[in-house]
Amino acid sequence: MNNTNQRIILSGRVEDERLESRVLEEKIQKAVRDGHRVIEVEAHGQHGIGGRLYRAAKDPVHVKVTGHSGQRLGSMGFPGTFIENFGPASDDAGWLNAGARIVIHGNAANGTANAMSQGTIFVGGSIGSRGMTMTKYNPRFDPPQLWVLGSTGDYFGEFMAGGIAVICGVDPKTPENILGHRPFVGMVAGTVFFNGPHGGYSKTDSKIVFLSDDDWQWLRDGLDRFLDAVGRKNDVPERLFERERWQKLTARSPHDKVVRKTRTVSEFRRSVWEAELGAGGLVGDISDRDMSLIPLIPTGELRRFVPVWENRKYLPPCQDACPAGIPVLDRWRLVREGKVDEAMDLALRYTPFPATVCGHLCPNLCMGSCTRQGAMMPPVDITKLGKAGVHTKEPELPEVTGGRVAVIGGGPAGISAAWQLRLTGHDPTIYDLPVQLGGKISALIPKSRIPDDILNAELERARRVIGHVLLEKQLEAEDVERLRDDYDYVVVAAGAQKPRMLNIPGIERVFPATDFLRKAKQDAAGSPGDHVVVIGAGNVGCDVAVEAHRLGAKTITLIDVQEPAAFGREKAHAEAAGATFRWPCFTKEITAEGVVLEDGDLLSADTVVVSVGDVPDTGFLPGTVEIENGFVKVDEQFRTTDPKIFAVGDIVRPGLLTDSIGAGRKAASAIHRLLSGKEAGNNDRYYEMAGQSDIFLSEYAGFRDFVLDGPAVIDPSRISLEYFDPRLEMSEGIEGCSSACLSCGSCRDCGLCESLCPQAAIYREELENGDFEYRVRTDRCIGCGFCAGACPCGIWAIHENDPL
Amino acid sequence: MQTDGAIGPSTLSLKDLPWQILWDKERCTLCGRCTAVCPVGAIELKVFRKRAVNVDVDFSKPGKRGGNVFGTFYGIHQRTSPAFACVGCAMCTLACPNDCIGPVAADEADKLRFHINQGGQAERRGGRRNDPGGILDRIQFTRISMLTDPALDAGRHEFELTTLLGRIYPPEKNMEMLRENGWIPPVREIYPLIIGGMSFGALSPTMWEGLQLGVTYLNEELGMPVRISTGEGGCPPRLLRSRFLRYVILQIASGYFGWDEIIHAIPEMKVDPCAIEIKYGQGAKPGDGGLLMWHKVNKLIAAIRGVPEGVSLPSPPTHQTKYSIEEAVAKMIQSMYMAWGFRVPVYPKISGTSTALSVLNNLSRNPYAAGLAIDGEDGGTGAAYNVSMNHMGHPIASCLRDCYRNLVSLGQQNEIPLFAGGGIGKSGNLAANAAALIMLGASGIQVGKIVMQAAAGCLGSETKRCNICNIGRCPKGITSQDPRLYRRLDPEDVAGRLVDMFVSFDTELRKIVAPLGRSTSLPIGMSDALGINDKDAADRLDIRYVV
Repeated sequence: MNNTNQRIILSGRVEDERLESRVLEEKIQKAVRDGHRVIEVEAHGQHGIGGRLYRAAKDPVHVKVTGHSGQRLGSMGFPGTFIENFGPASDDAGWLNAGARIVIHGNAANGTANAMSQGTIFVGGSIGSRGMTMTKYNPRFDPPQLWVLGSTGDYFGEFMAGGIAVICGVDPKTPENILGHRPFVGMVAGTVFFNGPHGGYSKTDSKIVFLSDDDWQWLRDGLDRFLDAVGRKNDVPERLFERERWQKLTARSPHDKVVRKTRTVSEFRRSVWEAELGAGGLVGDISDRDMSLIPLIPTGELRRFVPVWENRKYLPPCQDACPAGIPVLDRWRLVREGKVDEAMDLALRYTPFPATVCGHLCPNLCMGSCTRQGAMMPPVDITKLGKAGVHTKEPELPEVTGGRVAVIGGGPAGISAAWQLRLTGHDPTIYDLPVQLGGKISALIPKSRIPDDILNAELERARRVIGHVLLEKQLEAEDVERLRDDYDYVVVAAGAQKPRMLNIPGIERVFPATDFLRKAKQDAAGSPGDHVVVIGAGNVGCDVAVEAHRLGAKTITLIDVQEPAAFGREKAHAEAAGATFRWPCFTKEITAEGVVLEDGDLLSADTVVVSVGDVPDTGFLPGTVEIENGFVKVDEQFRTTDPKIFAVGDIVRPGLLTDSIGAGRKAASAIHRLLSGKEAGNNDRYYEMAGQSDIFLSEYAGFRDFVLDGPAVIDPSRISLEYFDPRLEMSEGIEGCSSACLSCGSCRDCGLCESLCPQAAIYREELENGDFEYRVRTDRCIGCGFCAGACPCGIWAIHENDPL
Repeated sequence: MQTDGAIGPSTLSLKDLPWQILWDKERCTLCGRCTAVCPVGAIELKVFRKRAVNVDVDFSKPGKRGGNVFGTFYGIHQRTSPAFACVGCAMCTLACPNDCIGPVAADEADKLRFHINQGGQAERRGGRRNDPGGILDRIQFTRISMLTDPALDAGRHEFELTTLLGRIYPPEKNMEMLRENGWIPPVREIYPLIIGGMSFGALSPTMWEGLQLGVTYLNEELGMPVRISTGEGGCPPRLLRSRFLRYVILQIASGYFGWDEIIHAIPEMKVDPCAIEIKYGQGAKPGDGGLLMWHKVNKLIAAIRGVPEGVSLPSPPTHQTKYSIEEAVAKMIQSMYMAWGFRVPVYPKISGTSTALSVLNNLSRNPYAAGLAIDGEDGGTGAAYNVSMNHMGHPIASCLRDCYRNLVSLGQQNEIPLFAGGGIGKSGNLAANAAALIMLGASGIQVGKIVMQAAAGCLGSETKRCNICNIGRCPKGITSQDPRLYRRLDPEDVAGRLVDMFVSFDTELRKIVAPLGRSTSLPIGMSDALGINDKDAADRLDIRYVV
């Protein structure tokens, strides 16, 4: 081009009309294309003057701007472009500058050098807010530079991401703070040199660093060029050339970012919190409790739950159910331990009739309550153990040192009372009417249910123990009064002898059941004929049926007004004898043909037996003994209203044989206490049942007392039935039975807990008396309760720990 | 029950429970940690039967077909009686070193709900209304100013996110009072997120210590003027006599517990408390009072509340000596102002109710009323009847909105600040919920439950998880007075997490208000920034309907 360096003057106004920015831009671009390299622009506020002059290629272009340059002077400026602005610049001078050198001789407004990437901007005055913001540094080029002679406005260097800014602080707009309010927020890269006071800067994003020799050399050289360019070379204060007045600031690197220099909460707690409140914080003055952190699963006293070895704290249901209070579970335990003899001896402490009653006649309430049934497993068969006790030798008897007691009645209740009295060193004497001891067991109960040899063996043993047995003694009231005076105490156990009869026509034709049974047993009854009707279908009625069958009856019908009360072995025997039950039947009369019912039916009968119960004959008792509803009135200890007379058995209330045996034991216990100078009774039933009465002799190895408090029978859900195979039948022998016993509430010393404890906290401790305990190392135990969950016998329990 | 035992109406199976424990036999080492940690005894070790049948399948041979092999194994068993039903807290999962146990929510409505009332005892629990989500989560901030307002950068710009607690006179009246040397109500400039009343007693001592420590840290270390209400249960004597009292709002409620200790401390107070909150109602159980059972009234609580140990402490549903709204509010506010020489703002707190406007109108005529706090139905509590929690109360959004618009109609919207609470941040959207309420007209927000969740790891949920604050067995030690439980909680950790919660809330609140161009005042009542995709809700709240 021939017009290289040719100067051209372009005015932003033509004929008093301001040119649109677009038109001026086209003119400038055309001038460059035409080869002009010095362009003087008389600006009238046009936008973006001097930028984008890439058409000059590598030629330098000098743009001189006079007048009022508009916004974005030199925006998108190219390398080689040199813009000289001879007055103040508007906003965003050098916006997105990509290489132009821009010199502004006056002040520059907001946004100076915003987003500049290359090039240099010299400002001879001060700049407005948000200068040098969003600047970049592209490693392909030199970093951009902004030099400001005066001060910057607010938010200087915001988001600055590269380049170098130099703020000289000469004639600043804000002399007290040449960097403005909150500079360098979000700055991530770049360097700033400044000379003058500042009002703080973003310390999280930037920092003041050491000004090196190289820095100073660069700055010193640059200053000369800058001052020269803005025409202030000889017109600036000396401090501008004093190195120590300059400060250098750079962005913090990502690794160097400080979030906020604050104390940790721990430091704060120590140095501020407790300094103001005192040691222990908010409640240190009113509580000395340790509040320090503990682990989630602690041991020792910090456990929420603690296991307790509650051995023999609760009664097993079998023993609880037994009216005689026989410690069934302990008998099985003794068998398991190979102490069969001791197991037999133990029974004799509670009953004179282990074979007769436990083995044969008792409905075995212990078995009825056996926990094993919870899993449909058969109960442990106590009858085997009972029967095995038939020939057990009687206990060794203490010398008679106590009182003398007359026992009227030689049935199970009387024998039990006398037996217990003798075992505790007293001197009982039995008076009874029949020729044979044993009451209704001997007299009435069919031999099919209790073989003679067994009964006789046990009666013989009882007789040996009791010593004084006077039979065939009919006592009248005056005899009883005499006995009361002669003896320390009298126990009345005369039973219920008077049959209850029906008030119907023809009643004289019937046999009372007791008469029938007594005669049958003595083989004194003739044949009852082919057809027998029994009115009253209870267990006694069943006995009648069995005996009638034995004596040759072909049909036996038991009738009742309601569903027959018969149950258990008696009923089974009757059914085996071919007896049929019929109900409801209301008897109208008894005729020679048989029983006529209210509905007109005739039940043919050769023999009719009435079996609707018996009532006591109390006519022989002195007037001091109160009778209530036909029975003798007694208190909890079976003491009558006459303080020297006790009454037990059916004369008090109808019941099972085992009830009579229990009553005898209880009355004996009360008498023993009285004779020992104590109160008659401990009203706690469990005291008696648990074998803690004074006449219980705890001489058996390993026998432990129960420690009862709260509910006395163990909760069956504590027992783990799962250890037992429900398909297994009950074993034949007593050893087999003994291992089937769950040992409810009584430790069987299996050691499972010791093995299972996840913390190995449980150990077995042998005691000096030969006993043992399982104990817990509290410093190891976490209170998981596994011991309680696994214990086969329900010994371990998990309790909430005591409050701290 | 015994497996072959009888069943009763309340005999439940695992299927009937709200939570079922899944246990992996394969991975379990039988370490006992799960049963040791379970707060309600829902799980225990059990012996299980195992049976293998080895049959001879050769049918040509007669006779028995083979043998049974019987055995047992040990495993974790879940109890099914209502008293021991799993509450789903999953502490077992937390404690299990082998990841082999944990509760799973039932796949249909449980049957336990019909049997929880054993002995005629209606269900009681802690936590919130069993209803996750809510209207607040659905409100969007639809005004995002890019060019219409000077948009700000939440991360880098300075924000003044404080609010005013106290009665603000109109400028003319203020000037008049200044001229005439009259009384100008005290006003506090505080952070808009306030920790609502949770008493010493409802919370454990470690939790209380942690919250107060955290609040103090926020104030003194981070410069955030966060305030905390004591709830009704007094205030530790040391705190009353410390400079930290200025961060505390003392609450007085119908039980008046601890107030004699506060009165005795007045002469020794270094600073005034931030404010006095008169509690008339609670959002979680509106119309109901409270009862701290005697067994929780230990030495410490007794000392702080000024009562003997081991006595039950009832807070009646209402204040006993107030008979009309005029009298009730005026009398209480006057008394409480007098206690501190009219230097401390006094405001009532009520539960969300359709009668809130009546209270507000009354307050608008009482120059001493420093504000009104309204606690919506989604608020939490330590103990309440389930029926109160689930079915009683008013949602906070419309209640607050009605009150604010009423103030606008009176021209008093800048005079009586409203504080909204009840389920704010229930779904974790604390800042969004708070900002929505602020733009609906709240000057500040009260939170409680989310503080327990964020700062102490509370496990409670609106889907029946845990929520056993009422029985003193909080597995995290937040609401228990049992040292074995509350010592699981380190006050420093609580304080640290509280700080995290507030600092992050602050960031989020900025994120919401920055695009509105607000940096120097909260956008209180700026409801044109809100939108919701529900026409009825939009109409009711008078905000933009957006779809």
